[in-house]
Amino acid sequence: MAAFGAALTVVVAVGLGVLFTRWIGLALDSATLTPPERVPFLGGGQPEVHAWSRFHVRYYAMALLFLAFDMEMVFMYPWAVVFVEEGAVALAEMLMFIVILLLGILYAWREGALEWA
Amino acid sequence: MGLRRALARLAAAAEAPVFPVIGAGGRSVAGEIALLGGVRVVDSPRAANVLLVVGGITPGLLAPLLQVHDQLPTPRATVWWPGEPVEHQDLRTVLGEVVVARPGDGDTLRGVFAELVGGGRLSDPPALPDDEPAEWRGVGPYGQGGTGMTGGVPYGRPLAKRSPDPDGLELDQLPLRIGPMFPPLPPGLILDIALQGDVIREVAVGDNPFLGHPDGPAPAGLDTALFLEAARRPQPVATIELARARHHLRWAAGTLRLHGLASESLRVLRLARALRPEHALEVETLARRLRGRRSLSWATRGVGVVTPAQVGFGPVARAAGVAVDARLDDPAYDGIGFSPVVNDGGDARARLRQRLAEAAQALDLANRAGARVRQPGPALEGPRGPLSAGEALPSAALVDLLPRLLVGQEWGDAMTTVASLDLDLEEAAAGARAGAPA
Amino acid sequence: MRWSSPLGAVVLVAGVLSAGAYVVAVLDVALGRLTAAGHLRLRHALRQPLDETALLLLTRPSRTERPDAQAWALAPALLGAMAAAAVATVPLGRGIAVADVADGIVLFGAAMAMVMVAVYLHGWSANSPMPLLGGYRFIALALSYEMPLALVLIAAALPAESLSVGAIVASQHDLWNVVRQPLGLPLYLIAGAGLAFWGPLDTADGPDLAGGTTAEVSGPSRVAWELARRFVLVAVAVMGAAVFLGGWQGPMLPGPAWMALKTLVLLAGLVWMAHRVARVRLERFVVVAWTVLIPLALVDVFVSGAIAL
Repeated sequence: MAAFGAALTVVVAVGLGVLFTRWIGLALDSATLTPPERVPFLGGGQPEVHAWSRFHVRYYAMALLFLAFDMEMVFMYPWAVVFVEEGAVALAEMLMFIVILLLGILYAWREGALEWA
Repeated sequence: MGLRRALARLAAAAEAPVFPVIGAGGRSVAGEIALLGGVRVVDSPRAANVLLVVGGITPGLLAPLLQVHDQLPTPRATVWWPGEPVEHQDLRTVLGEVVVARPGDGDTLRGVFAELVGGGRLSDPPALPDDEPAEWRGVGPYGQGGTGMTGGVPYGRPLAKRSPDPDGLELDQLPLRIGPMFPPLPPGLILDIALQGDVIREVAVGDNPFLGHPDGPAPAGLDTALFLEAARRPQPVATIELARARHHLRWAAGTLRLHGLASESLRVLRLARALRPEHALEVETLARRLRGRRSLSWATRGVGVVTPAQVGFGPVARAAGVAVDARLDDPAYDGIGFSPVVNDGGDARARLRQRLAEAAQALDLANRAGARVRQPGPALEGPRGPLSAGEALPSAALVDLLPRLLVGQEWGDAMTTVASLDLDLEEAAAGARAGAPA
Repeated sequence: MRWSSPLGAVVLVAGVLSAGAYVVAVLDVALGRLTAAGHLRLRHALRQPLDETALLLLTRPSRTERPDAQAWALAPALLGAMAAAAVATVPLGRGIAVADVADGIVLFGAAMAMVMVAVYLHGWSANSPMPLLGGYRFIALALSYEMPLALVLIAAALPAESLSVGAIVASQHDLWNVVRQPLGLPLYLIAGAGLAFWGPLDTADGPDLAGGTTAEVSGPSRVAWELARRFVLVAVAVMGAAVFLGGWQGPMLPGPAWMALKTLVLLAGLVWMAHRVARVRLERFVVVAWTVLIPLALVDVFVSGAIAL
């Protein structure tokens, strides 16, 4: 538990440290900007709409495939720990599991879910 | 305060981050900027402290320039390399503290930067007035409301509307107008893009800003000026071929930078600057090295295929397998072993290989031509295509090709395609005037 | 001081990350100049990162018209914090580890998954088209390299019979994993470069998007972001040195010196790759990651498993 505490402390500390570099600069110069200085950069033109939009995330099919494999990762983590004890049986079982998922990748690839333009 | 002074002393020794804006007649000097000592070219004005304007600013480029100027963070300064003649807008009347220098003068640039950071020079004030660029119309206090689910003008801009897509999903389509000073695009190119996701659904080319001047761009300012000159007066073949090789190497450097190989691009620019016919072997080695660079091939293979039916001239057509070259009919090239270089595929990879091979071939021809002089008369093969009296310059046709090519392409591929066509909007504007300048 | 006490932990991790980030910046400048001009100019390379940081600290941070200011400010902090979490799990010498927990690999994987969130937030918060595109394109890349990354680390965990990084280092006392599992390190470096969106996998901040997620970022915000990004690269190198190159083990020199040396080698490799390899085409990389890299990583897992039995 002490280890996690230490890790958490480190995470928070480094996060604050990174923010600190930002604060040094802000402390040195914090005047306000005019509206033309705040226009998003598009090569000199004005934006017509806000960028926030219902963005068409075309790789959503690949994201679903990733979800499936992420669940497989969850199973592989404990499997890695007990693998040597369990022996060849463990190898065979995980192999079967993986082959089934690989068929999923094959299907996705053939259906064009991995490309989107 | 002490901290500020300490930081300022360190900062003055840093490389000056420069955002270059290429105006009329500036393309020929553009290859020098990245090579200046103590200067770093950046991708976005927000990363820069110095705005470097090269060439003249036409009326179509003025408003975008002022907008980009304001997008630089303070402390900022503007340096202008107007070149000769200063026939366009005098920037000193619109931008206030503009430092004018000779093109290629890196010392003034560094001096301005050092003063700016050291405190000896005040930062440029904003060029555009302190007004909201867009009115907050609408029903509610934040501009929201109005018709439709996302109606109104919240915080001054409307929200994107949905649009059908071949994918079957109707999601928002972002209308973008990427302007004349967008670094991945050639200077002056304005594209009105409708982007759904990261795929381009509609694209239209905006009005050419170089058409603002009443007589069209001065042909002497084009980066193919030497070739236009050679179409009218006798020129040594070696000079023409050397200029061709230099042009192709500069283009290659731009493409390499776009593909993330910034230091390689500097190396190529250095080679281009000091190019002499004796460097034929080095250019050949470079061409072979880049051809073998598998990551570059991988990134450009199959992207932006142009068929010979779409473009029938220049390196673009030769990269698609058609051996059309005005030098075949030119008596000045007889007997020095010239035969057109041809690649197949017509994609961006083929065009990259094509231009590198042509650069190597050009130096080879320059060596073999010796003191031979070319007489004007037959059409001259310029680096983008044939230049002959009474016909439009090559870039105009290439710009017209863009909408068809870019629709349906993903963003990265679109940028690669545009870069691989080697467009020059100034040349397209000059070509739009009746034929080649007399 | 005890390295798992709060103060000791912060000093150790912050020190490693800061020193590593400086080394990355120096290597970047030096190798860039070597590629561009053929000579090194080491003194210039040693000064340049500090001078550039000073310049950026004096420059005003930009704002856009209607950004998500809190998320924009926190994104670099989150990125840096996740790099710190990753480094915390790695033992940097015999007994020198902040949090060498029993499932260090899982903690590393979780931290690296949050990197995706940080980069996306950085792109989305600006409310500007170029950063937005950068953020979304990065997610496509991140989803593709996560699997090979996790799989090669699991393959390294098999001989150690444990998910703790310390145990993995200990399992390499006779033979380094880079020799035992040759597929591991190359796959790890590719995925690691993607984690820090570095070089060939720079779909988030590339030049084709005018700087991508950094297109609207200037001044101290830029310092924070670039620093955090280099922290991630250092974390990738430190973990790689521990898992594949035997960690702190080695003759003669003390443990931390070996770790530093091995980390330096990996960092040099990653920085050199950025200057030599062109940026990938996103779609093509996604296809290759799913159809080539994942099967290779699975082969790595099963072959290592068979050997470990």
